[in-house]
Amino acid sequence: MESEQHSQKLERVPSGISGLDTILQGGFLKGGVYIVQGVPGTGKTVLANHVCFNHVARGGQAIYFTLLAESHARMLQHLRPMAFFDDAVIPDRLYYASAYVTLEEQGLKGLLDLFRHEIRGQKASLLVLDGFVVAGLTAPSEREFKKFVYEVQAYAAVMNCTVLLLTSNEPGPVRAEHTIVDGVIELDDRLFDHRTERGVQIRKHRGSGFLRGVHPFRITAAGIVVYPRIEVAFASPSRRDQPPLGRVSTGIAGLDALIGGGLIGATTSVVMGPTGIGKTTFGLQFLARSRQEEPGLLFGFYETPERLKVKAEALRLDLVGLEVSGAVEIVWQPQGENVLDELGHRLLDSVRRRGVRRLFVDGLGGLIESAIHPQRISRFLSVLTHELRALGATTVFSVETRDIVGPTVQVPIDGISSLVEGMMVLRYVEAQGRTHRVLSITKIRDSAIDPALQAFSITSAGLEVIGPFQGYEAVLSGSAHTPPAPPEGR
Amino acid sequence: MRTILLVEDEFGIAGVLTVLLENAGYRVLSAGNGREGLQQLAVNRPNVIVTDYMMPLMDGAAMARAIRADPTFQDIPIIMMTSVREDIVRQHFDGYTAYMRKPFQTEVLLDLIARIAE
Repeated sequence: MESEQHSQKLERVPSGISGLDTILQGGFLKGGVYIVQGVPGTGKTVLANHVCFNHVARGGQAIYFTLLAESHARMLQHLRPMAFFDDAVIPDRLYYASAYVTLEEQGLKGLLDLFRHEIRGQKASLLVLDGFVVAGLTAPSEREFKKFVYEVQAYAAVMNCTVLLLTSNEPGPVRAEHTIVDGVIELDDRLFDHRTERGVQIRKHRGSGFLRGVHPFRITAAGIVVYPRIEVAFASPSRRDQPPLGRVSTGIAGLDALIGGGLIGATTSVVMGPTGIGKTTFGLQFLARSRQEEPGLLFGFYETPERLKVKAEALRLDLVGLEVSGAVEIVWQPQGENVLDELGHRLLDSVRRRGVRRLFVDGLGGLIESAIHPQRISRFLSVLTHELRALGATTVFSVETRDIVGPTVQVPIDGISSLVEGMMVLRYVEAQGRTHRVLSITKIRDSAIDPALQAFSITSAGLEVIGPFQGYEAVLSGSAHTPPAPPEGR
Repeated sequence: MRTILLVEDEFGIAGVLTVLLENAGYRVLSAGNGREGLQQLAVNRPNVIVTDYMMPLMDGAAMARAIRADPTFQDIPIIMMTSVREDIVRQHFDGYTAYMRKPFQTEVLLDLIARIAE
């Protein structure tokens, strides 16, 4: 007997929403029924409308039913400024109607008949019911409600119509209807001290994998944007790691000579030091070596592009010219309430888009300050830097240390050494009534490094290594002193 | 007393407009979709029909086309009140008496009805 194996791949209906399809691993299942739940104000209606407009833009047909929700006119008025909104598709491709009177007069049976009539009549491939909780309240029993959901699902599957049921149920406990539907998507808007962050979590996605946990999202002028958590989204780097790519000049000749010719390509280094010591200068010199075939990116948090250009000009670095030629891009993050994963994706997208080879992140504190859960930072950076290596970027993070002068170097993150291949510390040292700048190379993996402390200066030519800082001891305490003279006669 | 046939699927809007129209001295006949609107016409003849476009079972354009095709009712003024763009409404039905884009000020609708119903 001849047997035939059928490989049936489940067909997907992409939401078209940036990031959401990533966490759904391709989108909704065609003909699947999904509950989208969250308390009022969490973004369910915007999300469902965004999915509808994306769906019809790809040639689908959608119906949006409401039950005691805001009026369609008001809803559309609120959606109109969003980039996805296109009133040319209403009503021929996207149809809005209220099902409340039908539910009130004919119960769940009438509502089901209405769905069947409209799915068939409009040849709908997507149906949204906004106000699903009202249908539940109308049900004479839990059994009847489950039966209704079951029948909706059966019809949706036969007609290949994907269904989104929006409900304002509190997130949390598993409800009877959850057992029947193909997926449960939960939206929330959590308060952390004085700050809120929206999050989306896939609770269930039958027959499909999904990225677990809460992923932040924003409601923007473009609509919903989901930022899959970096630790999950890039748990495996998107490309195979590159072998070491040779040396990449720091742009500081004296430093290159001390570390074997430069930083190892496609590795991550940090340059640490207190405010004003020269970290940004270091980064600008590093980026000044960018070329069109070796693009650079400055991903900054503190100094605006305009100020950076003035600073570069004072150092005789043609940052403007590099930017105009496309050799360098400056991506600046205004200081506000940033979302850690949004920053991570923006950084990776910027690197990927231009094939960036030289990356200067100024500074690490900007990422740390955006984290609602600081305990995430180490793992976040670990995954982020792995991905940057895989993309072939040689990365330098500036890290601001707390004390300007002192015996200890307070780094704002634990275990940073294990995350990076290179560590350079810039310090102020007081000796004989003068402040000196000193550089110590703490780590350059797989390289012979000169352990001597190096004096450096910042001049109009930038950061220049002067030479070993000699004649003093206890230099790293911040207060160097000359060693006592040996006792006479010895 | 002048009679208005109000065809509107949204429960809240239909309720508010009914109260406002009744307070303005009209008798109001209500229907939740085009199909119910036609059923109302079979037993009542309104002076003006005010209808939404997007409704379940039968939309306002389909209902209006049926009304214009019936010699008994084809002269009844029809006000189309909808979120749908007017140029798109026209592609489906261009025989309306007046068009109002939702959302609108209810006073404007009442003034319009008053003028048309005279």
